[in-house]
Amino acid sequence: MKMSSWLIADELIKTRAFVFKNWVMTKRNIFTIFEILFWPVVGFLSVGLLTEFAGLQPQMRAFLLVGVVSMSTIQVCQLDVAYVLLYDVWSKAVKHGFIAPVGVRHLLLGSLIVGMARGAAVFFILMGASYYFFDFDFMAVGTGPMILFLLGLFLCAATVGILVCILVLIFGNRADVAAWSLVSLMLLVCGIYYPITILPRWVTPLSEIIPLTYFLDYFRHFYGFKPTFSHVLAKGFILVFVYLFLEIILMKAALRKAKKTGLLLKLSE
Amino acid sequence: MKLAVEVKGLRKTFVSGWLRKRRTEALKGLDLNVPEGGFWGILGPNGAGKTTLLCILANLLTPEEGEVKILGMEVRTHAMELCQRINLSSGHANFLWSLTVRENLKYYAMLYGLPGKRRKKKIEELLHLFDLGGFAGVRFDELSTGTKQKLSLAKALLNEPELLLLDEPTVGLDPDVAHRIRELIQQLHRERGTTILMTTHNMKEAETLCEQVAFIKEGTIKAFGRPKDLKRDLRLGDTIMIAFQGSLPASTLEGMTGIYGFQASDSTCRILVDDLRERLPQILDLFIGQKVFIHDLRIQESDLEDVFMAYSR
Repeated sequence: MKMSSWLIADELIKTRAFVFKNWVMTKRNIFTIFEILFWPVVGFLSVGLLTEFAGLQPQMRAFLLVGVVSMSTIQVCQLDVAYVLLYDVWSKAVKHGFIAPVGVRHLLLGSLIVGMARGAAVFFILMGASYYFFDFDFMAVGTGPMILFLLGLFLCAATVGILVCILVLIFGNRADVAAWSLVSLMLLVCGIYYPITILPRWVTPLSEIIPLTYFLDYFRHFYGFKPTFSHVLAKGFILVFVYLFLEIILMKAALRKAKKTGLLLKLSE
Repeated sequence: MKLAVEVKGLRKTFVSGWLRKRRTEALKGLDLNVPEGGFWGILGPNGAGKTTLLCILANLLTPEEGEVKILGMEVRTHAMELCQRINLSSGHANFLWSLTVRENLKYYAMLYGLPGKRRKKKIEELLHLFDLGGFAGVRFDELSTGTKQKLSLAKALLNEPELLLLDEPTVGLDPDVAHRIRELIQQLHRERGTTILMTTHNMKEAETLCEQVAFIKEGTIKAFGRPKDLKRDLRLGDTIMIAFQGSLPASTLEGMTGIYGFQASDSTCRILVDDLRERLPQILDLFIGQKVFIHDLRIQESDLEDVFMAYSR
C-alpha cells in the first residue's frame, strides 16, 4: 500500500515536472501572447467578417466558425506537446532530460496538461468573441457535447504534437518546422472550412482516417448539418486512442533509434 | 572489490550521410573496470572515444556490442533504476535558457522524483555548496560560463548519485573558476565517497584529482593505472641535472637501482631516475660521500602530459 502510494507520488512529481517546464517557458515566451491571442483572434475575425461580407446564413456561419475555432484550439494545444521536446532541443539540453528516470508518458501527459490549459483558453476566448461579434452561441449545444468535443480536439492535438516529437527524434531539429505545418495539412482534408463531401473522391479515405473529421461532424450536427458518417463520436475517439497508442510505441522506438544513431547527443550540441 | 563500472568488449560505430554512408568506429572492443568509490580519469586525444564511452554509461547512446554493467546492473535492462542512481555533468553546460538557476534545479529535481520538502532542502543545499545563492533568480542565458558549469555540477548531484560521470568539467573556464570547480569535485569525492569517472584534456587536473587514469586512443584503452605507475611503465622518469666539481662516481651511479639513464660531461651530468623523491636523497648522499661539490641542482619532473604524448604518438 505504502509502495503503491509512493509510486503514484513519484509519477505525479515527474509529470508535474513537465507541466512546470512548459508553464514557465510559456510565461517567459513573448510569442505566447501571439499564440494565444493574436493569431487565433485575427484568424477568427477574418473568417467571421468574411461570413458577414458573403452574407451567409446563420447555419453556414456556424459551420465556418466551428471550423476556425477548432483549428486554433488544436494548433495551440499541439504546440505545447511539441514544445516539450523542442524547448530542450533549442536549449541544447536534450541529454539532461533523457538521463533522468522519466518515461515518455510523463513527458507527454505533463505537456498535454499545459496544452489543454492553453487550448481551452483559446477556445473560450474565441467562444466569447463568436457570441459578441457574430451572435453565435457555442454553448447552445449543451455542456456535455461541448466537453466531449473539446476533449476530442485536445486528443487530436496530442496526436499532432507527438508526431512532431517523433519527427524531431528521427530527423533532428530540422523537423521543428512540423510543429507549425502539420496542422495546416489537416486543414485541407478534414473539413475545417468545407464539408469533406466536396473533396475529390481519392482524398476522402484520407479524411476518414483523421479523427478530427468525426469530431467536427459530431459538433456540427447540433447546428443542423447531417453527419457524413455514422457513430461519429465513437469513431473519432477510437481512432484517436489507436493513434495515441501507436504514437507512444513509435516515440519509444524513435528514442531508441536516436540513442543508437547518436542523434540524441547531436541534439544537445 | 565491488565494481561500479564494468565494461567488456564495447563497440560503437557512428554512421553518417544519406547516400554515401560514412562509418566511424568510436569504440573498438573497449574493456574497463572501475571500483566503487574510485576516482578515475579518462584521457585521450580528440575523437578517441572518451565522450562516447561516458554517454554509453549514461544510457544516452546504445552500443552495438559489449557488456555494460553499472553498480552491478546491466545498463540496457535496468535503465530506469540506474538513471536514478547515476548522473552526468558535462563541460559547455546547456540548460533551459529561460529558466532561472533555481527553476532549472527544481525542474531536474522533479524529474528525479524528489518530493516537495526534500526538493527544496536539496536545492538550497546545492545552491549553498556551489555558491549559487546569488544567482538563484538569474536566467540561465544570463549566466557566465563558470556559473553555468557550477549549475551543471549542482544538477548532477540532485539525486545524490552513486556514480558521477564528468565530461570535461572545467573546459573553457578561467583558471580560478576551474580551480574552484576542481576543489568542489574533490570535496564531493572525499566527503560522499561518490565513484567518479571523469574525462579531461587537462593533464594536471587528471594528475591532481584522479587515483587512476585510463588512456583511450582509437577506441581502445592503451593503458591504465596510477599516474605514477604509468610514468614508470613508460620509463619516462624525472630528470636531475647537476653541475659539480670533483670526480664523478659514474660507475656507482650507473649501477644504482632506479636509474634509467645517465649523461655526463666534465662538470655537469643529467640523470634520469624512476622516482625523484626516492632517488634524489640517494644520489645526494653518493655525491657528498665521494666529496663531489655540487654547484647547481635542477629538477625536471615528468608529468601526465609526457605520458599522454607517449601514448598519443
